[in-house]
Amino acid sequence: MKRLFSSITDGRGFDLVLVGVPFTFLLALSGLPLAYNILMSFQEVDMFSLGSVIRPFVGFKNYVDLLTQPETMSILRNTIVFVVGSITGQFLVGFALALFFWINFPGASWLRGLFLVSWVMPGLVVGAIWNWILSGDFGVLNFLLQQTGLLNGNIFWRSDPNFSLWAVILANIWLGTSFNMILLATGLAAIPADLYEAAEMDGANAWQRFWTITLPMMRSTIGAIIALGLIFTLQQFDLFAAITDGGPNNSSNVAQYWAWDLSFRQYDFGKGATISVIMTVFVMFAATVYVRSTRHEVRG
Amino acid sequence: MGIRRTMISVALALASASLAGMSAKAEDVKLVLWSLDRDIQPAPNLVKEFNAQKNGIQIEYRQLQFDDVVSEAMRAYSTGKAPDIITIDNPNHAMFASRKAFLDLTDMIGQSKVIKPENYFPGPLKSVTWDEKYYGVPKATNTIALYYNKDLFKAAGLDPEKPPQTWTELVATAKKLTNPSKNIYGITFSAKANEEGTFQFLPWAQMGGATYKTINSEGAVKALSVWKQMLDEKLASPDTLTRSQWDSTATFNAGNAAMAISGPWEIDRMLKDAKFQWGTALLPVPSEGAQRSSAMGDFNWAIFSSTKHPKEAFKALEFFASKDVTMYKDFGQLPARSDLPVPPTGNALKDSALATFVEQLKYAQPRGPSPEWPKISKAIQDAIQASLTGQTEPKAALDQAAARIKSIGG
Repeated sequence: MKRLFSSITDGRGFDLVLVGVPFTFLLALSGLPLAYNILMSFQEVDMFSLGSVIRPFVGFKNYVDLLTQPETMSILRNTIVFVVGSITGQFLVGFALALFFWINFPGASWLRGLFLVSWVMPGLVVGAIWNWILSGDFGVLNFLLQQTGLLNGNIFWRSDPNFSLWAVILANIWLGTSFNMILLATGLAAIPADLYEAAEMDGANAWQRFWTITLPMMRSTIGAIIALGLIFTLQQFDLFAAITDGGPNNSSNVAQYWAWDLSFRQYDFGKGATISVIMTVFVMFAATVYVRSTRHEVRG
Repeated sequence: MGIRRTMISVALALASASLAGMSAKAEDVKLVLWSLDRDIQPAPNLVKEFNAQKNGIQIEYRQLQFDDVVSEAMRAYSTGKAPDIITIDNPNHAMFASRKAFLDLTDMIGQSKVIKPENYFPGPLKSVTWDEKYYGVPKATNTIALYYNKDLFKAAGLDPEKPPQTWTELVATAKKLTNPSKNIYGITFSAKANEEGTFQFLPWAQMGGATYKTINSEGAVKALSVWKQMLDEKLASPDTLTRSQWDSTATFNAGNAAMAISGPWEIDRMLKDAKFQWGTALLPVPSEGAQRSSAMGDFNWAIFSSTKHPKEAFKALEFFASKDVTMYKDFGQLPARSDLPVPPTGNALKDSALATFVEQLKYAQPRGPSPEWPKISKAIQDAIQASLTGQTEPKAALDQAAARIKSIGG
């Protein structure tokens, strides 16, 4: 008894407790739902069998059904466009802003903080505002483009199948930029100043310093931010609900919105779960990238 | 000290709570009622009035959010924790009734002196019916009709007392009223990719002689072609595809659309926002003398079959139904009753609009009833959106929808 106690306070038992607590936590809050989700994807689940675990087993029927639906391919393609477009935009604008504030002019840190407002706002509010901005007849965006002479006639950002997905991407870039900026700014701040001094003495110009010092030193931050961006983008739901509802004609529908629509509008929980499983595979890929890019930060 | 003080206050709170609990009579039957009504809407107020009678039945009220009603209800039912009474959106009623999750009220209604089937509009009544039995009682109802801007009618040289009667007239009128230089569209409605799109389109298909089971019939194809024409010729804003009915009608109120198709829930806002003369008319029909139809919205009362107190729960429904008389006056919602005239409000414009809607209600038809309604509705929405974006011809789009509805087993 005493040995057991001392092992728990200081010894192998202590290590096991330390590992065990988060492990149990993870298993209960992530592992079980994940396994349950996979189970559901092989079952026929409707609203009345939602409460039980034993349900008709249908094998790969949900997967086959989904993959043979005509809209599936375009929705998956939209998802990829949405993810790549959003992350590229968020990253480029965020990096540009981070570099801009890095100059550290008076008030820079204040302004940088203010940028976070967009990240703090609830997605539905952001969606409602962009809904007005992107509106075809009286939208602010159309007005600006026409006043600056870039456009004659209105573009129906939300309702034209050629633009609807990009309308949501635009809103999502705005939403995620500040988060990218803050993370990149901390990455920039962590680069030792003497590196730049040394480079300057060796005659490196600003461009060379950026390519040979800033970017390589930021490698892990950039890897992390892109992986996080992938996860956040795949989670983005509110903007779709607020701006296009996945329409018109599924032209702005993406996997995560589709999963919600199947589960909570059509009450076909089995198919909703199936899409979630497919998405989980994508997210696991992102998680691998994230872990690999941040791994060398941990030094024993 | 701090902890002890907290514990004492917690103990005190518990004691006082249990005292308060005991003041309710021990023999009272407790019922639970779920609804999405807010404090200015019927359910919570009716519950308060009911409880004030102190007739040995006390109802506990819980408010739900619109998106949660069905999922909360089914989760509760499948885990045996369903409330006694719920209000449910009418197209979802059959889903519960067909699984016998709702109590069959046919016998109780047969003996009731308050709730009589013949007093209800046929549409709402049909929505609570499954397999020729009543599984609920209509709570309120609404429908859609045509609003039009009389000032713009005059400006375009049209008779403001002669709103369009047929689809052809509607399109012709919309053409005359459309004025891009002044940012005026002829008409506004909603073809959004959610239930609202189905809600707005189905009446058109039904007027054309179709039902959701024959959604690719000639009349429905013609209906969708008219919609497509209105969008193609820019008689309605392209944003019709992504805008809700409420937002669409807002453009009518702002004078940017000369006609609008929407429901009586718009009246109060329109009286406030619309700075012009407006009128209402029944939905135009395919051709003169063709059958009328309209959409039917709003919620039904239902009792879960798992209730331990079916008699008491039905008594509550009888009480609620007895208050239908003052429903419009108190809450601005139309009771689903054909035997109750809507009392005059003292505002002539409002009264004439209400008269149009009450007339239109006679032709209102429920969506379904089918336990698979959400999937059927999705098939119809997809057809609407596919054809209005020009990616599929109306006929082909509706053929696809019909095939899907058939495979669902609607």
